[in-house]
Amino acid sequence: MSEKTVRILLVEDNAGDARLLREMLNEPGSLKIELTHLGCMSEAVHHLATSAVNIILLDLGLPDAQGLGAVRQAHAVAPSVPLVVLTGLDDEVLAAQALQEGAQDYLIKGQIETYALLRSLRYAIERQRMQVETDQIRKLQLQLKDDFLSHVSHELRSPLTAIYQFVTIVADGLAGETKPEQREYLQIILRNVRQLQSMIDDLLEATRAQAGKLNVEPQCVSVSDAVVYTVNTLQATALAKEITLSFDLSTRVPSAYADPTRLRQILLILFDNAIKFTPNGGAVKVQARALEADPSFLLVEVSDSGCGISPDMTERIFERLYQVAAPALAAREGLGLGLYICKELVTRQGGQIWVQSPPGQGAIFSFTLPVFSLGSLIAPLLRNEAWPADSVALMSVEIGSQDGWLSKEKRERWSRETRILIQKCMLPDLDVLLPKMDSGGAGEVFFVVAFANDKGAAVLAKRIREQFGQLEQLKQAGLTFSVSYKFLKPPPTDAVALSENTVGKMAARIEALIKSEINTRTIHHE
Amino acid sequence: MNKKILIIEDDPDVRLGYHIRLKANNYDTFFAADALVSITEARKHQPDLIILDLGLPAGDGFVVMERLKANTHLAVIPIIVVSARDHRGNKDRALKAGAKAFLQKPVDNDELLAVIRQLLGEPNVSTQQRT
Repeated sequence: MSEKTVRILLVEDNAGDARLLREMLNEPGSLKIELTHLGCMSEAVHHLATSAVNIILLDLGLPDAQGLGAVRQAHAVAPSVPLVVLTGLDDEVLAAQALQEGAQDYLIKGQIETYALLRSLRYAIERQRMQVETDQIRKLQLQLKDDFLSHVSHELRSPLTAIYQFVTIVADGLAGETKPEQREYLQIILRNVRQLQSMIDDLLEATRAQAGKLNVEPQCVSVSDAVVYTVNTLQATALAKEITLSFDLSTRVPSAYADPTRLRQILLILFDNAIKFTPNGGAVKVQARALEADPSFLLVEVSDSGCGISPDMTERIFERLYQVAAPALAAREGLGLGLYICKELVTRQGGQIWVQSPPGQGAIFSFTLPVFSLGSLIAPLLRNEAWPADSVALMSVEIGSQDGWLSKEKRERWSRETRILIQKCMLPDLDVLLPKMDSGGAGEVFFVVAFANDKGAAVLAKRIREQFGQLEQLKQAGLTFSVSYKFLKPPPTDAVALSENTVGKMAARIEALIKSEINTRTIHHE
Repeated sequence: MNKKILIIEDDPDVRLGYHIRLKANNYDTFFAADALVSITEARKHQPDLIILDLGLPAGDGFVVMERLKANTHLAVIPIIVVSARDHRGNKDRALKAGAKAFLQKPVDNDELLAVIRQLLGEPNVSTQQRT
C-alpha cells in the first residue's frame, strides 16, 4: 500500500528542539512527510484553521500557551486532528493529563529516537482514525434505533385506531344491543386501548428527547391556568380512587416563560404518577409560588400521601425506562418514561426537577421554571452591536373580531397565521417578534421590537398591512386587524454598544410601554 | 339530504370503522384508498368534506391536498387530516397545505364529529348516548 504524505504541524518555540525533530523526520524512511514548523500557539491556531494537517506535535511550553491549556486550545480548533505532546523528563504527570484531554501520545524530549517517533506518529494517526470511525458508527446506530422506534410507534397507531373504532361501535350499540356485562368488559378494553395509546405517545416523546428534538416554544404562560386545567382533567381518575385533588394558588403566582402545552404535559405526568402511587382515600396537592431563593424562577410542588420513594432512588426515578419496584397497591402501568420526559421538558425550558420523600409522608415532586419577564427578554436585543438606526420602534399588531370576542379556536389558528405573516415582513437581523403574551383583551396583540427610525417603521407597518390586506380568509372569518407603533430614542452614544445601565433602562421603558398597550386594550374592550 | 363525506384511507378496517360511525350520524360516505383514486372520487361525488390519511400508496396525503387545491371545484372542500404520523411537524405542514384540522390517530369519536359539524356549519349536538 502506497502511503500518502503525512502533513505534520510542529509547534515548538525552542529552535534547537525543533531542528532535532526536523532532522529525525527527514531521515530517509518509509513515511513521506511534509513538515510545517511554527513557534507559537496563535500561529498554529491560524494554520489549523486554514490548512489540512494530519497530526500535531505540540510543545507544552509555548510563549502564548502552556501545559494543558495548550492541549485544550489545539484540540478545540482541530478536534479531529491527532495530537502528540512533547514534554520534559520531569513532566510525566502533565503528559498523562494531556492524554485525558484528548492527546493521543506523548514524547519525552531528549529521549526521542527516530524509530519511536515515527511509530508514535503512525499509531496516533491510526488510533484517531479508529476513534472517529467508532464515534460515527455509534451515532449511526443511535440514529437507526431512534428511527426504528419512531417507525414502530407510528405503525402501532393504525391497528390501534381500528381497535378503538370497533370497540366504541359495539359499546355505543351501533352493532346491536349489548348486555350490561358486555358493556362493562368493552369499557375495560377501551381503558387498555387508551393506555396503549399513551404508551406509544411516551415512546415517541422519549425517542425525540433522546435525539434532542423535543420541541419547546416558550411564551408567557399562566401557571395557575395550567394547574386548574390539569386538576380538571384528572378529577375523574382521582375520584375513582377517592383521592382528593387540591391546589393552593393563594399567593399571586407569576407567569412563567414556558411552552403552555409542555407545562400541561409536565403537570399531567406528575399528577398521574401521584394518583397512581397514592392509596385509596389519599390526597394529592399542588402548590405554585415564586422561588424564595431566586425570584426569577417559580416553583411548583406536587405532593402526595402515597408510599414515598426510598432515598437511594430519588435520582434514579428520572432515568429513562426506570421503574420503581411496584408496591402491591400500584399496578405496573406505563413504560417508565413519564418522569424521564418530565425531566427533559423541565430542563429544556431552563428549570430543574427533583423529588423529596420524608419517611412516611409520601413524595413531593418539585420543579422550577423561569418567570416571564419582558425586561430580561428585551435586554439581549438591545445589546445588538449593529444598530443602524437612531431609534427603536415598538410595533403592535392586533387581530380582533368584528363581533366581539375571538373564539379560542380562531384565536389559536389566527395567532399562528399572524405570527408567520409578521415574520415574513420583518428584517430578520433587525426586528424581533416578541413571544405571545397574555393580552387579556378581546383580540390578540403581537409586539415587534424594530431597530428602525420613522422611515423604517413606516415601511414595516406598510408591509404588514399589505400582507393582511391580501388575506381574503381574514375578512371571511370576520376578523379585523390594526397596526400601530411608537418610538423610543436611545440616548446618543459614541460607544459601539449601549452600557448595561442604559440597556436596563431601555428594556424597562419598552416593558412599561407594552404593559400600557395591553392595559389600554383590556380596558377598551371590557 | 345527508351531507357527503369522502374518506381517503388505505386501511380497510379503519375505513369501515369511519363508515359505521359516520352513517350512524347521518352522513353518506365514499371511499378512496390511494392518491390517484382520491381525485377521481372527489370529482365524481363532490363531497361536502374530506377525511384524509397522510400515509397513502401512490403519493401521500400532501400530494392529494396539492391536487385538490389545484382544482377550482375541489379546492373549496374542507379537509380534515387524520394521521398516525406525529402532529409535531406534520400538523403545521398539513394546515399550510390547506387542511382545516389535523387530528392524531386514534382520533376520539366525539372530537372527530365535533370538527366535522363545525366545518359543515352544523350545530354540535351531543353524540348518541354513551352506554
